[in-house]
Amino acid sequence: MRLRALLLMAPALLLLLAVFAWPMLEYAWLSLHAQSVFTGLEPVPVGLANWQRLLGDGRFWQDAGQTLRFAGVSVGLELVLGLGIALLLHQNWRGRGVVRSLSLLPWALPNTVMALGWRWIFDDPNGPINALLGGLGLATLPFLASPQLAWIATVVADVWKTTPFVALLLLAGLQMIPADLYDAFALEGGTPWQALRRITLPLLRPYIFIVLLFRLAQALGVFDLIAVLTGGGPASSTESLAVYAYLNAMRFLDFGYSATVMLGMFLLLLAGSALLLLLPRGQEVRS
Amino acid sequence: MTLGRRRSLWALALGLALAAALLLWPLAWARRPVTVRVLMPAPFADATAAMVADFNRSPRGVRIEVTRGPFETEAVSDLAISSLLLGDSPYDLLLMDVTWTAKYAAAGWLQPLDPWLGPEALAPLVPGARAGNRIDGQLWRLPLLADVGLLYWRTDLMEAPPRTPDELVTRSRQLQGQGRVPWGYLWQGRQYEGLSCVFLEVVHGFGGGWSTDEGEGMGLARPAAAAAAGWLRLLVSEGITPEAVANYAEPQSLQSFRRGEAAFLRSWPYAWQELQGEGSAVAGKVGITTMVAEPGLPHAATLGSWGFSLLAGSAHPEEAITVLRTLTGADSQRQLVRDWGYTPTLAALFEDPDLVKLRPQLPLLRQALNAAVVRPLSPGYAQLSDILQRELSAVITGGESAGPAMEEAARASRQLLQASGREAAA
Repeated sequence: MRLRALLLMAPALLLLLAVFAWPMLEYAWLSLHAQSVFTGLEPVPVGLANWQRLLGDGRFWQDAGQTLRFAGVSVGLELVLGLGIALLLHQNWRGRGVVRSLSLLPWALPNTVMALGWRWIFDDPNGPINALLGGLGLATLPFLASPQLAWIATVVADVWKTTPFVALLLLAGLQMIPADLYDAFALEGGTPWQALRRITLPLLRPYIFIVLLFRLAQALGVFDLIAVLTGGGPASSTESLAVYAYLNAMRFLDFGYSATVMLGMFLLLLAGSALLLLLPRGQEVRS
Repeated sequence: MTLGRRRSLWALALGLALAAALLLWPLAWARRPVTVRVLMPAPFADATAAMVADFNRSPRGVRIEVTRGPFETEAVSDLAISSLLLGDSPYDLLLMDVTWTAKYAAAGWLQPLDPWLGPEALAPLVPGARAGNRIDGQLWRLPLLADVGLLYWRTDLMEAPPRTPDELVTRSRQLQGQGRVPWGYLWQGRQYEGLSCVFLEVVHGFGGGWSTDEGEGMGLARPAAAAAAGWLRLLVSEGITPEAVANYAEPQSLQSFRRGEAAFLRSWPYAWQELQGEGSAVAGKVGITTMVAEPGLPHAATLGSWGFSLLAGSAHPEEAITVLRTLTGADSQRQLVRDWGYTPTLAALFEDPDLVKLRPQLPLLRQALNAAVVRPLSPGYAQLSDILQRELSAVITGGESAGPAMEEAARASRQLLQASGREAAA
């Protein structure tokens, strides 16, 4: 019986091993070697030197902090806005179908195109936001030229792009909730606000959990948005770990250290996901 | 049975044709020209398209196939590196930026050109364009186009350009005070390679350099580096340069200057065409010179040039060298100057009366090329430059003061070179 189960699972397991475990092992091996332009791209064993460098690398930790801040703030905002939009789109009103499709447009746009668009929007002084500020008689703001503002710009762009995705997943969740629950609740004298807190949110929890998992994994690995919008600047204030790993591999041709940065990022991600899994999920619907 | 006969005739004709094709096939195969594949950034692929078509029309047994790469310099490098890492690169020749040479040579991706071109290959070039091609005694790249950092100034606002940093500041303040221009001086302050180019000129103007040589000492640790970084910050804090400069690359600074919003611009030779073109508020009111420097110190111009390298994996090096010679030759360079306004590398073209008549800026560009300074020729250049850009960006945005930032950049650079020395020795 067990053998049969294993046999049936084998194709999937092999696939996972091939596309996931094997590259990971390769990376682990690489992180114990110096393979850079200085070694003529030949791997030279260096023990834990790369890991030591990682622990003492202020830039890695700064980028880790910035990546966490980016992911936390943007996913948080997306969740709140996405829930609002999902609730709105769940209501019955004329033209809902059109709005539902339209609201997906940002999600359908390629990341690089979207980032380029936002780069123009945030342009100082010729972008529309600054034109608006100027028109109102206010001072223009160097959005992408100030370390204090640039990371907010990256969050805004990301929220604009991925809120529709969050809204879509949550909308699917909302449609799974039987309508008679609300009817019964209303009959008992519950207010809509109470219905949201007592019925909608608890029953939506598994969907919120999925959204968090998807979005956090994606946002912690953010690359293209940052690369196009700010290039990681100014003063590396928007650089993410993925951008740093890319710089090490493709620009500096330091593959040993790039693999170490990637693995370090993976370990942080793993720790984050483990924390998320510890959260209560509220899967069971009591009938 | 006319129908049957006709059919068999058809079959016979078809059979004959097939036999003829089979017989001629090896012949055609042997005469098929060797294809030399070249990767170029999009602008250069466009500029050389006519030349390449000409070349392919003449029967020489060699055909050029150009891959039109991306526009952005680093994106082209990413594309080339991705293919080189996979082993067999699909290209024979690569049009390379001056800063890539050391890295690509150290990675073992290039073939030295000396055996093909001889030791005098660089002799016909202007001195400024010779730098950055020969590393450790071997020639890795033959330049096609020269590029130098220039100071553009408004001839309608002043008689002569400023020659010292102080003059530039005073002149800017004056003009801004009179309300004639919103900004004094525009340059490239985004955290990218252009920022290193800007800095290199200024640090030379303050009597320093960006040497990473153990013997000479780390250039960034010397007082001139802090003075140069401090001056760039002063430009921003004094409002001579807009704060937004911290996100400016070439296009943003050029567009603003083109609208007449500043008295000075730091850019490359290509900007000349753009500024004289239609829709430019400063057409006919622009002069070019070299970067400002403290009295008695050299005016420097960062060298940026494009040249061809022969990839180690090329299956047809001989044909590739034929292509390289043709594309970097006098006819090709003349065409690039005449039709596209690029800067040549061959000394003779700077004195060609027809070209000088058409492009009056050529003698000035030659002067600037004589003042050319190169960025460090290290395989680790990309990382050295990244370290510098990061610290400079922090200084410009006011996050760090110049002294400590340059000390930190020097420390990180030294650490990188020491670690790489150990790796290379291992």
